[in-house]
Amino acid sequence: MFERFSHDAREVVKGAEAEARELGSPAIEAEHLLLALADRVAALPAAGLDHDGVLAALDAERDRSLAAVGVSASGFEPSPLPTKPKFATSAKSALELALREALARGDKRILPGHVLLGVLRPQAGTVPRALQQAGVDRDELRARTEAELDS
Amino acid sequence: MIDFDARRDPADGLAAVVALRRLADQVEDSEVARALQDGWTWSLVAEALGVTRQAVHKKHAKRLKALGIETRRR
Repeated sequence: MFERFSHDAREVVKGAEAEARELGSPAIEAEHLLLALADRVAALPAAGLDHDGVLAALDAERDRSLAAVGVSASGFEPSPLPTKPKFATSAKSALELALREALARGDKRILPGHVLLGVLRPQAGTVPRALQQAGVDRDELRARTEAELDS
Repeated sequence: MIDFDARRDPADGLAAVVALRRLADQVEDSEVARALQDGWTWSLVAEALGVTRQAVHKKHAKRLKALGIETRRR
């Protein structure tokens, strides 16, 4: 499925794997793509979501979700992950959506911006909740990303 | 204490499930590594987790080997 992916979009996929490993996650999720995109699509830092901003938003989302059932994970540090993380459904789905976004726009190559559009498509889950937590409007971010792809 | 508040937004409850699963997996990874480093056997770790020795070995052996943790055979 990666034939249409540009060099930069492939770097995002590789970057997501590195992010998952760094966070001790055995699976590559959509949020790891978002972390890898933070330095590659200008619309993200423009919305206050540079790499640290995304990390902070994800931490806040996790803390809030755990707090909803009275659980706190403060003080827990995951152990490093030496094995290769696998692609989880959320990340696979985001990459498929990226391809669909490119086709719908009539774009031949998949760029990091298309991957971001794919990541931003779901209405529920960790990424939309983290964006909400950070006070970022998903539709506005999508529109800015589309504009960046147009330019 | 888990707070089963019926008025809670289902989005928060579902997100809690996701966060709890991820946290449980990460705590398992880290505690299994600690136990084996402390000299626990695979059998004892399996007993503590309430799963078979095969299951815990299959899930963690490769990762622990890559971490350079020596494990006892039984």
